[in-house]
Amino acid sequence: MGWIRSLLDGSKALSDKRRRNAEIDEELEAYIGESVSDKMRGGMSLKDAVKAAHAEAGTAETVREKVWSAGWESTLDRLWGDLTYSLRRLSHAPALVFTVVLSIGLGIAANGTIFSIISTFILQPPPVGDPSRLLAIMRTYDRGQCCNYFPKPVYEDLRTQAKSFSDMAAYYDVLPASIGVNGDSKREWGQAVTANYFDVAQLQMAAGRGFEATEEHAPAIVLGYRLWQRQFAGDAAIVGKVIDVSGHPYTVVGVARSGFRGLEQVLDPQFWVPLGDLPELIVNAPPADSRSMQWLHIAARLKPEVTQQQAMQELDVFAGRFTQAYPATDKDNGFHMSPVGSIPERDKKMLEMFLLGISVVALLVLVIACANVANLLLAYGAQRQREMAVRLALGATRAQLLRQILLESVLLALGGGVVGVLLSLWATYGLSSFKLPAPVATDISVHVDWRVLLYTFVLSALAGLLCGFIPAWTASRPVVSSALKGETALSRPGRRLTLRSVLVVTQITLSLVLLCGAGLFLRSLESAAKIDVGFRSRGVVMMAVDPQLHRYTPERSVQMLHDVRERVAHLPGVISATATDGVPLLGGHRSDGFVVPGYPAAQGPNSVELYMAGPQYFETLGIPRIAGRDLGDENPMAPKAAIVNEEFVRRYFHGDSPIGHTVNGGGVAYQIVGVAKDTKARSIGEQQRPVLYRAISQNLASDPSFEGYTIMARYDGDPATLIKAMEDQIHFVDPALAIFNVQTMEEHMHDALLLPRLVGTIFTVFGVSGLLLALVGLYGVMSYSVSQRTKEIGVRMALGAKATEVQRMVVRGGMRLALISVVLGLPLALAAARLTTSLLYGVKPWDVATFTLVPLLLIAVLLIACWIPSRRASRVDPMVALRVD
Amino acid sequence: MPSRTTDLIQGTLEMLVLKTLALTPMHGYGIALRIEQISGGTFLVNPGSLLPALNRMERAGHVKGEWRATENNRRAKYYVMTEKGRKALKNETETWGRQTAAINKILEA
Repeated sequence: MGWIRSLLDGSKALSDKRRRNAEIDEELEAYIGESVSDKMRGGMSLKDAVKAAHAEAGTAETVREKVWSAGWESTLDRLWGDLTYSLRRLSHAPALVFTVVLSIGLGIAANGTIFSIISTFILQPPPVGDPSRLLAIMRTYDRGQCCNYFPKPVYEDLRTQAKSFSDMAAYYDVLPASIGVNGDSKREWGQAVTANYFDVAQLQMAAGRGFEATEEHAPAIVLGYRLWQRQFAGDAAIVGKVIDVSGHPYTVVGVARSGFRGLEQVLDPQFWVPLGDLPELIVNAPPADSRSMQWLHIAARLKPEVTQQQAMQELDVFAGRFTQAYPATDKDNGFHMSPVGSIPERDKKMLEMFLLGISVVALLVLVIACANVANLLLAYGAQRQREMAVRLALGATRAQLLRQILLESVLLALGGGVVGVLLSLWATYGLSSFKLPAPVATDISVHVDWRVLLYTFVLSALAGLLCGFIPAWTASRPVVSSALKGETALSRPGRRLTLRSVLVVTQITLSLVLLCGAGLFLRSLESAAKIDVGFRSRGVVMMAVDPQLHRYTPERSVQMLHDVRERVAHLPGVISATATDGVPLLGGHRSDGFVVPGYPAAQGPNSVELYMAGPQYFETLGIPRIAGRDLGDENPMAPKAAIVNEEFVRRYFHGDSPIGHTVNGGGVAYQIVGVAKDTKARSIGEQQRPVLYRAISQNLASDPSFEGYTIMARYDGDPATLIKAMEDQIHFVDPALAIFNVQTMEEHMHDALLLPRLVGTIFTVFGVSGLLLALVGLYGVMSYSVSQRTKEIGVRMALGAKATEVQRMVVRGGMRLALISVVLGLPLALAAARLTTSLLYGVKPWDVATFTLVPLLLIAVLLIACWIPSRRASRVDPMVALRVD
Repeated sequence: MPSRTTDLIQGTLEMLVLKTLALTPMHGYGIALRIEQISGGTFLVNPGSLLPALNRMERAGHVKGEWRATENNRRAKYYVMTEKGRKALKNETETWGRQTAAINKILEA
């Protein structure tokens, strides 16, 4: 209790210092008064008594000081004094403050931005109740290979038998549907979930409720917060209303809370329906009774008294039991548990390495910034040697000076932290505009949250201490006798200048490493953009519809696609038009293993990319056909015709002509009628994959697409007009059809270059920041050394040195530092580049162009940093310079 | 005079003040005077050490300060010992007794 009173009294004293002082004075006065009365009673005269009493009591000032220092508040008060003093001092050096705050700001911004990514994707749990007890369960195969999803019967077995969990929910993670009211529908992505999903997640709802146990098959829907805002304008009375979900009436029972995007990191589902509704919403829904179809994700709520290890042991027991009971499907399968919302095990390592890598790079930027600031503060400290000497001579301790100077640098760094956070806000906004090249809805937007604020705060304070320490140490240790006379330690040639040079060399070296990284990734981006994808991306627009979401029969779908294609092909400006089930370069479409009768098994992995193609497919995408015939409106009843690419011929036919042969893939026979040139299928940087194109009219019924069908048109003219016209044609055929993924092929290619673009952007920003910082650092050192050597230069010129010679001397000094840095930095950069091999497209990590151009560029820029101070040196007037002092 | 006075042993001032206040509430000068008188002038307490100590003790809740009029009709801050102060005095006296006994033993050995 004592400390509460102490805290209260202390704060009261601090908040009204004058009153506290008056109180002390009054008490002291009473004390002295009583003392005087007492002494007079003892026989002293008033005058003597007063004199004696004051002598005994000491001055009011001293007493006051002593009373104050008895409480904790005096420490705070002293700190406050230091703080205001520091602020006052700093306000006299606005240029220094500006440079330091900006330098640290850049460094903190780099780290804050990268940490925002980490915070958003790794540290932030999904907004569910008690995320630490909500676990994602996966299934392992082949004794511990990670990971598969669940067949429904396995989920049901686990749910009914496992004792470690209070409940277990399952969900199907990517479900498309067209959602709206009165024909105004949009294609949205959502999830099909067991009725207990929202209870297991313990999710707060923005409105209404989750599903009830009786609603396993009910036409009920929970809307995502954003969908509710966007499509239904945040209608407060939405709960209970009936909306159209892919042509079926569904009753809205609730709205999920803002920010809830399901239990996984990157997906962005915006609605949830009961799992039992799946068969009516998608064609060929996975059969609920199959023990081999792995399609469900599981989230389980751990009982409060059970640890993860115990739960894992129980799951292991089940794995053994299931292997016994179902050897055909469950043999060698096990279970894997991870906190819900963590990055999938498969991608975890790569992503963590990547984030670790860019974190290190961001820290490098901060180190460069710190070196810069330390350098500036050293120069600033040198100017203050006299002040420090005076304060030491007046009795200040070195510790006090040290504290004072460190406080200054921490203050500066915190200022930089604020600037850094502001820059990060802007940078994360920019980062959020990157789009993942994937067919389903994803959200990779990045936000600055409290973790980022805390991290940047700690980092700024650390940076302040780090870059303040050396300057504080040297400044608090002036050679008192000479400093008082106005000689600064730095004016003596030699030692301390070296410290500053070392800092500058560090800066330039690290900047060189960053710039080489930037150079490499820009070259990589350039060569990635130049990779021949095999089709012509310019002049193609595309948009998708999903007839299944509108309860089309396969026959009607084929007819609709045929009609739309015909109409679009006859639009003015359209050269050719086609339909397909999947756009290339979306990270992966459908694939199957193939067997060619009469030929040995394929060389390499047996996996063929499958695309459906309407008439004019190759013409529209600009893929040259090199043999056989084109695919047209094939007769659905006829044998299935297919065109394969050259890689298919190489792998499966060993170079023989495939035309006329029949190949089998996924239990279906295709007759090859033609060969087309190779194209990139999944991603831009990949090795060629075998591709088989099959007729849309012959395969739509037997193997319907899950992602809808895309109409593509090659055009000549204005894409915006064409897009409008194409939409009109689609709506002419069926006004209810929801149109989605409207973009030009060039926009799509832009998204497909996400990784090289992202890395290139990050490194360029970091590299340029580093370069700027190094530039400021070198400039600072050079111009400081010029100002310190004015006298020396004056003497040289008086003795006959020419201005150009002086200038050359100064530049040579700076260039020496630059060259040392390049010599140190190049091997470092080369070593670092080896780590980036897997991120580079078509560029070797020892790319000659990068490693010659970047150092040359750096030296050229640094030359400017030396040249400006050297000009000043050459203009030194010996008469003026020698008269100084 | 200086030959008769000694510095207070570190940390004992608060105990002495509490002991003084055990009988009756007193103001600062009264406490100083009482300590001086009872110690026969050995300990002289000046306000520079007494007032901070009183401040500390007030914070710790061992004493409570109230402004009252003195017999000379002057407004002064009187200190009243609290129940907590009484306990603290008992503790400190015991500790002190043990310590001095031990020190005496060592010195007499």
